[in-house]
Amino acid sequence: MGGSVSKMMGKIFGTKEMRILMLGLDAAGKTTILYKLKLSNQDVTTIPTVGFNVESVTYKNVKFNVWDVGGQDKIRPLWRHYYSGTQGLIFVVDSSDTARLEEARSELHKIINDREMKDALLLVFANKQDISGHLSPEEITNTLQLTKLKDKLWYVAPSVATDGTGIFEGLAWLSNNVKTQPSK
Amino acid sequence: MATTLPYRPSNDSLSTSNAKTNGLPRLSPSPSFVGRSPSGSQMSFRRTSTENSAGYKQRRCKSQYPLDSPERHVEYILVASFHIDRGPIMEHQYPAAISGDESMLAELMLPDQTHVRSQDWTIFFLHKDTSGEEEEETEDGKKKKKRKSKYHANEEAAHLQEEQPDEASDEDSSDDEEGGEGPPLMYVLNLVNTKQDNTVRRGAVVKAMAICTRHSFLHIYKPLLLLALEDYFKSPYPETLASLYDAVNSMDLSLMPKMSLLERHILQSSNTKEMFIEKFEQMVRQREEEEMENGDVPPSPKKMSRYVLPRDTHEFESKVVYNDIPIPVKIPTVIWPETVGDFSLVKLIQTFAGPHATSPQPFPSHPHLTTSGPLTHPIIVLVNAILTQKRVVFLGHNRPSGEVAEAVLAACALASGGVLRGFTRHAFPYTDLTKIDDLLNVPGFIAGVTNPTFANHPEWWDVLCDLPTGRMKISSHVEPAPVTEGLLFFQQQNSLLPNQASNANQDPTGDTLFMEDILRSISQRHGENAIRAKWCAYIMKFVRVSAAFEEAVYGASNLYIIGPGEELSPDSPTGHQTDALDPSSLRGHGYVWQDEVAKQRELSASVSRIEGWRNTRSYYSYIQDIAAKYWPARPIQRPDLNHHHDRLRSLKLSHAEAGAIYLALAHAVKDYAGICQLLAAAPENQAGLFYLSMGLFHPDQVVREATCDLLERIGAHPAGRHFWSHLSRFAKLGYFRVKRDRDAAQSPISGPVSGAGSPTSNSGTSFGGEPQSLVGVALGDSFKRQS
Repeated sequence: MGGSVSKMMGKIFGTKEMRILMLGLDAAGKTTILYKLKLSNQDVTTIPTVGFNVESVTYKNVKFNVWDVGGQDKIRPLWRHYYSGTQGLIFVVDSSDTARLEEARSELHKIINDREMKDALLLVFANKQDISGHLSPEEITNTLQLTKLKDKLWYVAPSVATDGTGIFEGLAWLSNNVKTQPSK
Repeated sequence: MATTLPYRPSNDSLSTSNAKTNGLPRLSPSPSFVGRSPSGSQMSFRRTSTENSAGYKQRRCKSQYPLDSPERHVEYILVASFHIDRGPIMEHQYPAAISGDESMLAELMLPDQTHVRSQDWTIFFLHKDTSGEEEEETEDGKKKKKRKSKYHANEEAAHLQEEQPDEASDEDSSDDEEGGEGPPLMYVLNLVNTKQDNTVRRGAVVKAMAICTRHSFLHIYKPLLLLALEDYFKSPYPETLASLYDAVNSMDLSLMPKMSLLERHILQSSNTKEMFIEKFEQMVRQREEEEMENGDVPPSPKKMSRYVLPRDTHEFESKVVYNDIPIPVKIPTVIWPETVGDFSLVKLIQTFAGPHATSPQPFPSHPHLTTSGPLTHPIIVLVNAILTQKRVVFLGHNRPSGEVAEAVLAACALASGGVLRGFTRHAFPYTDLTKIDDLLNVPGFIAGVTNPTFANHPEWWDVLCDLPTGRMKISSHVEPAPVTEGLLFFQQQNSLLPNQASNANQDPTGDTLFMEDILRSISQRHGENAIRAKWCAYIMKFVRVSAAFEEAVYGASNLYIIGPGEELSPDSPTGHQTDALDPSSLRGHGYVWQDEVAKQRELSASVSRIEGWRNTRSYYSYIQDIAAKYWPARPIQRPDLNHHHDRLRSLKLSHAEAGAIYLALAHAVKDYAGICQLLAAAPENQAGLFYLSMGLFHPDQVVREATCDLLERIGAHPAGRHFWSHLSRFAKLGYFRVKRDRDAAQSPISGPVSGAGSPTSNSGTSFGGEPQSLVGVALGDSFKRQS
């Protein structure tokens, strides 16, 4: 009952709900971003994710249900089980790990070419901008070959997950671009 | 109650009188009574109190887990860890590699979200052959590959069989000695620890240790795993595994007696802590005699035995010495099929009953599942789903995986009731997304997961049980119940009956009442055992109702073996005696309804789920079990004791009808096993001997005396004596009145007493001083219970 009331309030005041899936190679910073969103003013230390994390974050009238799924290559085939119903994909790359950017590109294209992900927005966090030797967001855009994408709304946001820089800007982009569609 | 009566000093006089009458047949003698074994060396009260049943102890008592058994308690110990680059990996296996898919095992050992808690337990099962182990020992290496270890879902062969259950059930019974669906399961108990450690890359170490055993009481190893995993963090070498392996395998359970099916039934449904203590005593005596013969042990200076009897015969106490620390363990004496680990039915029921009680949510209707309409109790929906072989998922987001595993195991036990099986074999107490494709190949499963993404995939399950909210969902993708022949037949038959519309009864299945009773039991803290016994009775009833349904619709039932002289025609008069001279030729079998209307009402309410059950693995296993286990375990095949006891219990019988039952029972129930069977039909947690004792007040003297003799035999039975002592004082007084009357009449006719002995010759002596001491027993016992 409480749920239906708040849904109604949501309609009146324009609260949207959005299912977000956050993927990326292992150690890219996904879990740190998730908990920086959730607990904005605290320091976050993370350990490798066994399986997944899921949290709800409300920002600018949008309730984001963010799924953060472990990134070790062996468990990447499981990502597809999280696709259905996803409205936005956050793909996190370690901008300083240039050796694995090609691997990241290939994983990213696998995901967004999936039929179930064709309508999802794509937000790329060019993470770890504080580490020397990092690539700029433009360089990341080129390496990931995002300009090739057709019929896709995408955005690359530079970020430093450990201090929260750029995280909420990325989220703002998602909330501005999500279509007003019934949640679920 | 007893305190209102003057208390007679019974205990002391009883034990002395017992000592005097040792070896003398005190009550109704049975032939085996005469050659008693020499009385035990100690004369504790407990022991003397059992002396009168010594005649039943002639056969050598076997151990459930003999010392010389080649079977080890624990077969493997595994250690896995989460590698920050490679994901889950297996680190060590002892004493050998378990083979099979190593990375799959490692994934199971490191459950989802284990990084958010410091400790987690999981349970999972492996389907692993026992055969080939000897081969490996002789020809090491060569045959290793022969040994297969598989997670259920990979076991394609089994699934092929299950898709054609008709054929499979026939074949299985012939080539499988256990009558099961393959080798016994390997149960795996797994402990995973996450330790924050700043000295390692990415700040944490995640390691898991697992014990693989074929014993379903795997929970006893929990304290050992805690210690051993801690040790492993300090010294991550195979030696740590080896010392745990040796410790658990030197656990001694050899003094745990083996029990027959009927004995196990009686023990389980009894709260008496001394039930079958005789068997434990005998195990100790046998051991002491063996040791004397072998000269192993110098006669101990004290007269105390080195072996202790259990405080409660429902559990056997032993210990495991690990690193010089003795760790006490308690092993359940009676282990039913489908009972794995230490789950709680009470907890499972409360989880889903609570939200249903405060704000019930209607289910979408499904004939197999919502048998009492849209507001069917969720627990009934769950049981229906498992009985009709649906896909059931327990979801516990943000809960430890041990919690979902427990729920799965409890659900298996709930639907099994210790009667049906085939559920644990297709249960996945904990599983995750990595196994989803395999899982979906299994037709009908019970799985536990912590990943909420399962809730977003209704095509993966038929019933979703969400543990944190206590809500159950029926999937929009659930397969509709097929219209079966049986259903059509039944509706045709029923349409002829006029009582269709008279649906005054709101609860035709009786499930609503049943659930109310269960919840009342829980709130009155009757305990886990009482709840399990009630579910056992519920499933037993379901099976018997199904048998009645099959007889009504198909003319015969697979679920009931017709006794000799019993013929199957739906309108054969029950209670009719085919042979006037043989009281045990009393007709009738199966479940008892008050009248035909009640029967039709219940059958028509249950027809869908019965038809849904009739094509499942548990149905076919049960048919095998009746033929292989349940039927042979019944020494008395005629009359149907359950049926006639139920008639006494639930019908208003005429004196003649009741009398015929009492005579038939007294005539049929004579020896040890027969009494066990009767006691199992009249469990202590229902009314015990109450309905039988009513025969003491029957107007016909012959019936009264027959009942009296029957109760006398029961009173001398090792299990029966506990039933006797729980009988009300009213019934006991009735018993002595019948005895007194018979003595007064000086008539040696004692009705159909036990066969082979010569009851009349010594009835005088044994009846002379007896009643008084028996009153002592009665009053003494009730007095003890009061205080």
